[in-house]
Amino acid sequence: MSALEEARARLRVEVASAARLIAPVWPVERFIAVNPLHGLVEVGFDGAVDQARRWLRATGYPGRDDLRDALADGRIDLDDVRAVLREQLPLLCASAGAAVGAGAVAALDVLVADLVHGIDLPDPDHAPRTAAERFDAIHGTALAVTVDAEVSRWSALLTQPSHGPLGFPDRHLGAYPAWRGVAVHDRHLRRLVGRAGVAELGSLPDRADDAIDLALRRLGIKPADRAQELRGQLARVPGWAGFARWCDEWSSDQDPVQLLGLLDLLAIRLSCESLAIDRATRSVPDSAAAPVAPAPPISTARQRATSALASLGVAEPDPATVAWAGDVLSALSDGRRGQLVLAALELGHRRELLTTLGPAPAVGPAHVAVQAVFCIDGRSEGLRRHLEATGPYDTFGFAGFFAAAMRHRPLGSNESYPSAPVLLSPAVEVCETPTPGAEAVAGRRLDRQRRSAATAGTVDAMAHGPLAMFALAEAAGWVLGPAAMLKTIRPRPRARVVADGTRMAIDPADGSGFSLEDRTLVAETALRTMGLTTGFAPVVLLCGHGATTTANPHAASLDCGACGGNRGGPNARTAAAICNDPAVRSELRGRGIDIPATTWFIAGEHDTTTDEVVLYDLDRVPVEHRAAVEDLASDLAVAGERNAAERLARLPGRTRTRSARHSVQARAGDWAQTRPEWGLARNAAFIVGPRDLTRGVPLDGRVFLHSYDADADVDGTALETILTAPMVVAHWINAQYYFSTVDPDLYGAGDKTLHNPVSGIGVLVGTGGDLRGGLPRQSVMVGDRREHEPLRLLVIAQAPRTRIDEVVARNPILRHLFDGAWVRLTARDRVDGPWHHWTPGQGWQLDSDQSNRARLEEVPA
Amino acid sequence: MTRPGLTAMTRIEIVVGGDDVAAVTEVLTAVGATGYTVFAGVSGLGHHGFHQGRLLFNDRDGLRMVLAVVSHDLAEAAVAALRNLLEERPGVLFVSDTYVSRPEYFT
Repeated sequence: MSALEEARARLRVEVASAARLIAPVWPVERFIAVNPLHGLVEVGFDGAVDQARRWLRATGYPGRDDLRDALADGRIDLDDVRAVLREQLPLLCASAGAAVGAGAVAALDVLVADLVHGIDLPDPDHAPRTAAERFDAIHGTALAVTVDAEVSRWSALLTQPSHGPLGFPDRHLGAYPAWRGVAVHDRHLRRLVGRAGVAELGSLPDRADDAIDLALRRLGIKPADRAQELRGQLARVPGWAGFARWCDEWSSDQDPVQLLGLLDLLAIRLSCESLAIDRATRSVPDSAAAPVAPAPPISTARQRATSALASLGVAEPDPATVAWAGDVLSALSDGRRGQLVLAALELGHRRELLTTLGPAPAVGPAHVAVQAVFCIDGRSEGLRRHLEATGPYDTFGFAGFFAAAMRHRPLGSNESYPSAPVLLSPAVEVCETPTPGAEAVAGRRLDRQRRSAATAGTVDAMAHGPLAMFALAEAAGWVLGPAAMLKTIRPRPRARVVADGTRMAIDPADGSGFSLEDRTLVAETALRTMGLTTGFAPVVLLCGHGATTTANPHAASLDCGACGGNRGGPNARTAAAICNDPAVRSELRGRGIDIPATTWFIAGEHDTTTDEVVLYDLDRVPVEHRAAVEDLASDLAVAGERNAAERLARLPGRTRTRSARHSVQARAGDWAQTRPEWGLARNAAFIVGPRDLTRGVPLDGRVFLHSYDADADVDGTALETILTAPMVVAHWINAQYYFSTVDPDLYGAGDKTLHNPVSGIGVLVGTGGDLRGGLPRQSVMVGDRREHEPLRLLVIAQAPRTRIDEVVARNPILRHLFDGAWVRLTARDRVDGPWHHWTPGQGWQLDSDQSNRARLEEVPA
Repeated sequence: MTRPGLTAMTRIEIVVGGDDVAAVTEVLTAVGATGYTVFAGVSGLGHHGFHQGRLLFNDRDGLRMVLAVVSHDLAEAAVAALRNLLEERPGVLFVSDTYVSRPEYFT
């Protein structure tokens, strides 16, 4: 065994351990909302927040201001605050109070007073995390930020696209070798490390892992402390570290980005830092400055206790009472206080939502002309509600990729992109091709694309790619380009119903697509999971979604998460084509799903910024269904207008235009508009159940809605599919919004107006610094006012609790999410059953409002 | 024990969560393993409860088993590092002797 190999292997484990603190950050062009503490999900929500507080200096809970705002606008009341205190501190709340004058003050009252009226103080100084921070603490220098700036600069340079202005001769060997090859010539680095350091730069090891090992030894880091040091290094640049983690664990060979892995990043950081400290050590006089003492605490326990008593009307408490109150308040550490505030907010939200849902189901229309399936995305909720109010429509919710996990190659593209939840790695490619006999029509669409590309200045006419699938192979006349470019410049359809001479080639016999077995699986999975296996309407709409915005680096954050941050139209078209495929229908009949010959599936796409819905492939709709499709298109336009008006009420900025439609279109096309729509701000819940549970209920776009029929799901497969995939994605989205709201400076991407797109992969705020993951401030706030309410996702399921228990028991990810309190869970066994709440460590608890009613009913008159 | 025509090597099998596969393959690559095999859809009963196998819409959250065959002199480094990994992460590690017919594939 070689000691070197052993060291290299051990380092890999140390890096993996350190990196668990950092969530992957996707390139912004395909922004994916992730839980920023994804790597810590197994330690539970509170444990993860605590680790993030220590390592990332992050805030993980809403504060007293959020509590006061919620009390002021009636979302919660003081009884909610008392309820969560009694639940979390039962013994203390039940303990004896203190006599004050002629009366008494209860411990519970002191706790409520401090929670509601106290002041949130900044966290005290934290212990240093890295060698440079320790050096700075002793010598009063600013090495740590200098190293951060240097490494961030190099990270941005190294991730430049390959055709960028800078050339790294050794870039093909990896980011660290590329940096090492030019580092000695860089004058910024020479200033940082000094002359002796430059010589060392020139003799750094060839490999990143060896460079890390050398630097750690140079810094004197003991073996047992190496993982901690690495964690601290990554914690100083969580944005670049997150991108590096994406490069290592989520990127694929087909990703056109310059990779920067964790080993590269750490090798560059630690090499710079160790040499910078060496240089600084030589410069520090022997009589080094004494360690800088931490600032004294702003408020003492005594002041806090006195303040709480004062808010209870106890103006001049005696010392014994103050001491008693101080003892009571010692139970309210910063972390515990945050847990209580969050619990109170969530209690109010849950009560309000369950009340809004109401006890009685609302049955759909007797005759249904169209069954419309929308993505579970909360932005579909309003459109579904307005559409159902417009005509004989029934709506369903299903993840917007409609079970067609694929790589999509748009018309005219020479590459494909994954269009599926990021939890999947699709291998099947589905191409958009000219419909035989309609090549001329397809050609006109390509002409429009080419003109758009020329306008955008991104034409790459000399790219080469396979043309065999095209009937017309005039390379000079066609745009061939990367999929990422073509999907963004595709001209917006002018009509509500589109027939542009193209189709999705779903059958390998047509050049791409799924085998018959896989096509059947797509259809069966989608239909069974949402409980649509009988009673098909004459028309079934599968409607994906996307967003149209201008000059928006975060555009992908508004597109469909179930489609990997892309528009969902291609998946909807693919799934609709599959469901119309006679061969597939024949197979489905053998599996107990009989789609009548009189039923036609049509695809659409909802633009969530403009609330326009486009329906595709009109040329394929049978004559007998065209009137219904035209009616649907008209009703979708009406529903869209109403939904836009509803949304506009929450969007800041005056609208001077005639109609809601014009207002939202103007926002979509305004390059200076930092908030074209609210996206998934205010998301708070995920409902699994039949439409009857939510029909007609105004849910304000705050809820993911997934259709589920417990009676049809005998073995729990559909429930398991929903909870282990769409629900997990919804949790990631919810967590991204949550953390971007409670700590926008650390978890969020800062102010959009200061964004500087870099390397095509992300944004900086200003001209340098860490890559900024997360959501911009404008996505969750208006000025300093929080638009997004920081609440953990509440899953509400209408399903037998025993079935839920079985599904959770065999899926560790669900055990972590529910038992770890990342996701709240409420369920009822059947439509007329009482709600029960899952409480970690205690199991199912009957909803207290219902238990109170039951107790009252038991009391004899 | 020797087997005529075959070369003795060490077989390493490790069952870990999907999120830890990258760390395992990094370790194997770092010690010089020339390859490895990753099995998805692993289900079973373990120390922390039952684990479902392949999930329909989620390739990431299930268990995986990584199998690698390395020469004896590389095995010690790999096993040491993987044991370090399992001090923090759930999983099980199996190390056994095996014989291969094409040693050049593994060195």
